[in-house]
Amino acid sequence: MSSGEVIKRAKYKTSVKDPGTPGVLKMTEQKFLFNPNDPSSVTKLDVEFAHIKGNALAKSGEAAKAASTAKVTSSTKVASEKSAVSFPDEQLSTAEMELRMNLLREDSELQKLHKQFVIGGVLTESEFWATRKKLLDVDNRGKLKQRVGFKSTMILDTKPMADGRTNKVTFNLTPEIKYQIFVLKPAVHQAFLNLVPSKMTEKDFWTKYFRAEYLHSTKNAITVAAEAAEDEELAIFLKEDNILAREARRKIRRVDPTLDMEADLGDDYTHLPDHGIFRDGTKEISETQHEQYMRTLSQDLNRQGAVVLEGRTVDVDLEDPRTVAEALVRSRQELDGDKTQERLDRLSRMTDIEDLREPLDHPFAPLCIKDPRDYFDAQQANALKTLDDARNKMEQTKRNLSIDEAYGSLRDSISKIKTMGLSDPIVKPEVALSVLNGLTQNISSSKFQLGKNSRESILDALDVHTGITETFLVFISYYYNISSHKVDDVQVSRLKDAMSQTYRQLEEIKESVQSDFRHKVSLLVRPMHQALDAAFQHYDADQQKRSSKGEPLNGFV
Amino acid sequence: MPQVRIIAKNFMDMVASLPAMKLDNLYSNAFICEAILRSLPPLAKKYVLQMLCIDGPISAKSMQEWVLADGASKHKVAVDRLLQLRIFTETVDRKRETSYRLNPVFQSNLQKLLVSGEVLPGEPLPSSITARLPSLEELDVFAIEQWECFMLQLINSSQAERPSNISSSTMKVFQRGLLTQRDKEAPRLTESGFQFLDRGVDPADLISFLLELSFHVTGEAYNISSLTDIQRETIKDLADLGLVKLQQGRKESWFIPSKLATNLSMSLTDSSSRKQGFVVVETNFRMYAYSTSKLHCEILRLFSRIEYQLPNLIVAAITKESLYNAFENGITAEQIISFLQQNAHPRVAERIPSVPENVTDQMRLWEADLNRVEMIPAHCYDEFPSREVFEGACEFAREGNGFLWEDSKKMRLIVKAEIHKNMREYLSRSK
Amino acid sequence: MASAPSKLYADDVSLLMVLLDTNPLFWSTSSLPFSNFLSHVLSFLNSILLLNQLNQVAVIATGYNSCDYIFDSSVSTSRGLENGRMPALCSNLLQKLEEFVVRDEQLCKEGSENGLASSLLSGYVAIMNAIFSAQRSMVPIDSCYLGSNNSAFLQQASYITGGVYLKPQQPDGLFQYLSTVFATDLHSRTFLQLPKSVGVDFRASKEDSRKDGRPLESRRKDSRKNDPNIQLASSV
Repeated sequence: MSSGEVIKRAKYKTSVKDPGTPGVLKMTEQKFLFNPNDPSSVTKLDVEFAHIKGNALAKSGEAAKAASTAKVTSSTKVASEKSAVSFPDEQLSTAEMELRMNLLREDSELQKLHKQFVIGGVLTESEFWATRKKLLDVDNRGKLKQRVGFKSTMILDTKPMADGRTNKVTFNLTPEIKYQIFVLKPAVHQAFLNLVPSKMTEKDFWTKYFRAEYLHSTKNAITVAAEAAEDEELAIFLKEDNILAREARRKIRRVDPTLDMEADLGDDYTHLPDHGIFRDGTKEISETQHEQYMRTLSQDLNRQGAVVLEGRTVDVDLEDPRTVAEALVRSRQELDGDKTQERLDRLSRMTDIEDLREPLDHPFAPLCIKDPRDYFDAQQANALKTLDDARNKMEQTKRNLSIDEAYGSLRDSISKIKTMGLSDPIVKPEVALSVLNGLTQNISSSKFQLGKNSRESILDALDVHTGITETFLVFISYYYNISSHKVDDVQVSRLKDAMSQTYRQLEEIKESVQSDFRHKVSLLVRPMHQALDAAFQHYDADQQKRSSKGEPLNGFV
Repeated sequence: MPQVRIIAKNFMDMVASLPAMKLDNLYSNAFICEAILRSLPPLAKKYVLQMLCIDGPISAKSMQEWVLADGASKHKVAVDRLLQLRIFTETVDRKRETSYRLNPVFQSNLQKLLVSGEVLPGEPLPSSITARLPSLEELDVFAIEQWECFMLQLINSSQAERPSNISSSTMKVFQRGLLTQRDKEAPRLTESGFQFLDRGVDPADLISFLLELSFHVTGEAYNISSLTDIQRETIKDLADLGLVKLQQGRKESWFIPSKLATNLSMSLTDSSSRKQGFVVVETNFRMYAYSTSKLHCEILRLFSRIEYQLPNLIVAAITKESLYNAFENGITAEQIISFLQQNAHPRVAERIPSVPENVTDQMRLWEADLNRVEMIPAHCYDEFPSREVFEGACEFAREGNGFLWEDSKKMRLIVKAEIHKNMREYLSRSK
Repeated sequence: MASAPSKLYADDVSLLMVLLDTNPLFWSTSSLPFSNFLSHVLSFLNSILLLNQLNQVAVIATGYNSCDYIFDSSVSTSRGLENGRMPALCSNLLQKLEEFVVRDEQLCKEGSENGLASSLLSGYVAIMNAIFSAQRSMVPIDSCYLGSNNSAFLQQASYITGGVYLKPQQPDGLFQYLSTVFATDLHSRTFLQLPKSVGVDFRASKEDSRKDGRPLESRRKDSRKNDPNIQLASSV
């Protein structure tokens, strides 16, 4: 953070076990300062970053999060001591801090505002960020990133390579494939956890696995059954995956009984030759006797599809199958817990590919009137006054002219035009000319204003404009929440000062431009003035009410 | 329903080419003002409207103020058209500032239209005089029959069911003028089409008569005696085309405008062409036309081989031979393609391209096959007195954009025929 | 809130939808007499129909108690003029308008004066919904406002839908405003600069709670595909 300054409540620890001295840690670009709450305490720190020669990460998780454990060489007493600073829990985590810093780094506009208002002391850090909660929402920022998914090729069909001379076949196995096998086949996954390395080596495990696969590919159910009977471990791979079967049964129970599976019967592509699948499901004759050793193509396909759609759930180094397997267990447990919903959400998000999504800033304003009553309640006070005026006016006109008479005159006008015809000329030529000239003038002036060749002065005004919006936003938020926020008058008046300063700035901008453009600039500046005026007006009114009632008041007048 | 359309561009060019006096005369007729206003580009319409109530001139600069950068060309087109038609008159003052004002006659006519509405041209005859008038449907049928018969005759005289009374000389003019457009579904009156109607008639009179005719009410009877002699002559030709139906009563005779006539002024705006297409072309060069019209069939026959004819469907194939036939008749591949595109069936019209690309490309290629030899009328010069003269002549021909070929050894030069005259002058000067 | 993106039009064919405020209380206090106002508006409607034979116009009168269609060019086809004084369009429209005013007056006598607040609320929702719908279907709403203050609703409506908001400075030149700005077809609008309101006055929305006359004139344009494209012009 090039322009940043962070103030945090913190504890100063000389060792991990030290309960620590509570105080305030202030970090600027160049140095950090620690002031203990108890002014008599001696543990003060004033270290310039330039002096920090290295840092050691404390082992304690909490302390590790803290910005740094620094080894410092300086004239202070603590210089060579191992020191740790930790933030109290309600404070920001490092991750959040980093996020904010990143945001500021990425957005120079934001940085400018931050410098002006937070460093300038107008707003506190939390006030500044309160209006930008959206930016801080990590979930929205991070999770929408597209992830690399699984390949959709059938990993279960990993083809053995035969060298042709000997009777040996070779299976190629990569960490990626191992991971995928774990995901696809919970039974294999389970077996791996149970057997490796306690009962067999990893190599033996995979050899057995692929032997089973090879047997499957021969499609000789009798041989399969025979082999399975001989080798208990091999049988694990050859049998139907119990975990999957259990899940499947659970799913079947949840299927809407009205669903007509028969209807989809004709929708297969198996009659097409070379349809990209190595196996041909129609040729898989089933022998009831050995059914448990047969895997149908549709089962494999379904499982593959489910896994690919679900995507990666484990984010660890794939090199070590043991870690992968364990991580997978963890992620499965998560799944069983209440995270299921979140995962489902993620699933739906992932099918929505980021690149293809339409931009979030939709050109349309959302058709959402949350509750018009809110709007009206807020407006009521102001409206009432005008309403009264309008009523008075109406009453007045009613006195002067009853509604009957009004209708009467309206009807007279209509019959008048019916007998007289349209006025000819429609518009007097001189009026028409002056109207057209007026409009043209309006056009040429607004053209400049929109102009691509905007003068610097206008840019300046725009610059100030963002500043105003910033203070204004915060001001408004206080204004409407004064009682709940328990904001002191000092804070509000500080804001007010900042705003009046921008007011002056606006005036200066207006004065500084050449007279030709002054009109245009003032057109631009006027709405800002109006907004500021309104804000001050409300503030003053509020102030008065409060002083008269002696208590803080909600913003609504 | 076929549409007789005046091609707005050609027609308005023709109007614009009228001498100033005649144009001003034309504008004394309110209908013509209306028809011409409608024919203008959108921006030009807006300019007329916004100056309708203003007496004096408006500076060009102030008009320009309203135009955004990408509208500059549209603005220029609009103002040019207005100037051509003398709806705008341009004045340049001492400061060299250009300004425009509206043609006063045009202006007051439009104002009148807005304020007091339009007066119908001529009163229709009361039903007591006329015998039973044809119903609107009957009139439509009559108009279509006449028009199709005429078109069929133009395309293929043997196909016409009954001999039409259109004279052969008339046919010839039409074949020259109209035939280039014949593969368009909506036949159009082109400038040369007008030449036929012309026959010694003042074009301004003709234009105003045609436009006036278009403002008559369809199906009403109008007395022929209200027409001038020339108009009476013209209206007979128009009856042959189905634009009007002539009827004879005991004493009076009258004409009944058909839809073809009343749509004439509408056709001035190009945006009115919203007809339904009927042709589907497949990538295998097969063509399906959902139409009952004999005319459509004949039009398709111009460039394709008709294979089956069902009550409401024509199946045809585009072949090399059929296309060569069309090319020989002077129809270009572009014309055929644009015909197919314009008349694409709504189902395929949404697609881009509406006609398969392989078909259009092949059609262009076949056409290009025929055009390997280009003929340019030319003159050959030889026996130059000196090399200087020869080289000068070559240079002269190049500058005049008429140079075709030279043989510097034998000092021979071939130039385009159009610069022959200049070349001769040049050579006689250089002697 | 961003202004709506505009659609591209290949031609200048328009469907114009005009809302006329015929609130008698407003017109009895207006500086521009109602008959003059009608004269300007009728000439404007005529000119729209004159510009392109495919143009269509529909007019809705909004009275004190009710509103109703008073003209639809797709229904009345008669050309020419009636009793020699004005185009047939005008006499048809005026006839309907007169009937409408009588009906509206009748309603006024029947109905009691109910509270303003409730109608205010429903009015707000209805107007905002109309505006957002127009924005969705890319129908610009033009507003021509003749009242003394600016109308925040109409300003917002025009701003949101990409239409024009105009408050004529010289009401006696109304036709000139209408023909210069509001008659501009949507095709031409893509390359013309029309008056832009400089910054919508946000404070104004607080003042806008009167129920009295806010005559609008709305205008819609129709493209080939029949998607309505409202332009709203208002006038009081």
